Amino acid sequence: MAVRQRASIISLVCAIACLLFVMLLWQTSDKWHKGGLSAVMVLVTAAAVMSRLNYFEWMFHPVDAPKFEAESSSKLDAKEMILAVRYGDDARAYPISQMAYHHILNDIVGGVPIAVTY
Amino acid sequence: MWTRTVNGRALHFYLAGINNQNFLMRDKETGTWWQQITGKAVYGPLKGAALNLAPYDELTFGEWQSEVSNGRVLAPVPKHVKEYDSNWEPEVAKLPVVISFPGTELKSRDVVVGLQIGEVSRAYPWDSLVKQSPVIDHVNGRPVLIAVAPDGKSFRAFVSQIDGQDAEFFLKGEEDTSPATASSDPKVTPTSASTGLKKPDQPDTKPAPSAKPWTLLDATTASEWNFQGCAISGASQGKCLARVPALKDYWFDWRNYHPDTTIYKR
Repeated sequence: MAVRQRASIISLVCAIACLLFVMLLWQTSDKWHKGGLSAVMVLVTAAAVMSRLNYFEWMFHPVDAPKFEAESSSKLDAKEMILAVRYGDDARAYPISQMAYHHILNDIVGGVPIAVTY
Repeated sequence: MWTRTVNGRALHFYLAGINNQNFLMRDKETGTWWQQITGKAVYGPLKGAALNLAPYDELTFGEWQSEVSNGRVLAPVPKHVKEYDSNWEPEVAKLPVVISFPGTELKSRDVVVGLQIGEVSRAYPWDSLVKQSPVIDHVNGRPVLIAVAPDGKSFRAFVSQIDGQDAEFFLKGEEDTSPATASSDPKVTPTSASTGLKKPDQPDTKPAPSAKPWTLLDATTASEWNFQGCAISGASQGKCLARVPALKDYWFDWRNYHPDTTIYKR
């Protein structure tokens, strides 16, 4: 976890170190070695970039600004499963078919900040 | 489902990793890593902190509509609608599991309802609950009542006590059969999934006389109780049973995070 937590910094440091090393070797390399060094550099750069991106959210897109509709105008089937939350008079339903895709939703229900998870 | 205020600050969570088909999330404010199923901070500045459970129910939309007024439903996000999988349940069930617990009497993908009271955990096989609802049992010395609605999908768990006294509940219309605690006859099935759903826009305090509402009777005060765990007639009218947090989960996942869990059998 410690490595994961600092992945973006570590990978950046590694990428820079790698770049310096490649530059050092570049002068003395023939074209085959230059090709090899370039390939290494491309891979290291790609890893450094990937460590900054959350690829889980490529698969499961977050809901940045959840929108709600009145229960009476919802097109959900009566048999569809929902997660139901109620604080005071504020009753909300989160269809599981949607939550199984988004997984996490930050919401405020009846003034209470909650994380809807599935 | 968690409240997300920690030390007076509302955190915003995002999906950050998946581990054994259970996910890790991070908060934007501190970058701490949290385990979704336990709500605990496992790494980062807030390590050791724990989120509080937000009470919630797993219901059919029809059941929920019959209970609430002016409820609001999460609207589909238009650009992701095609990704929503209305058939998610059988599809997920087909995914391979990476952990299994051979030697336990349930299969990895068996669905259970898990209760945890104090340090004691107990898993109720979903099929047993549907067949035997209402189920009365004890977890860590606490009497619990688990009920599956007539739709065969909605469920709730309660403390099976009225005013601090242990209570027994029967499905109305089946008073003559043995009590829920002793029911072993699979024919004592309250309903099947094919029975009609409650009509929407029907306040929970006024059960329609025409429809056959799902009602429990308690043996102590002979009051009628609805699926929300509230007495709608009799000496207990107006009282509601305390709720027990319950998680519907696959057996392998429940067992993984509750290694000492027992399994309900009857």
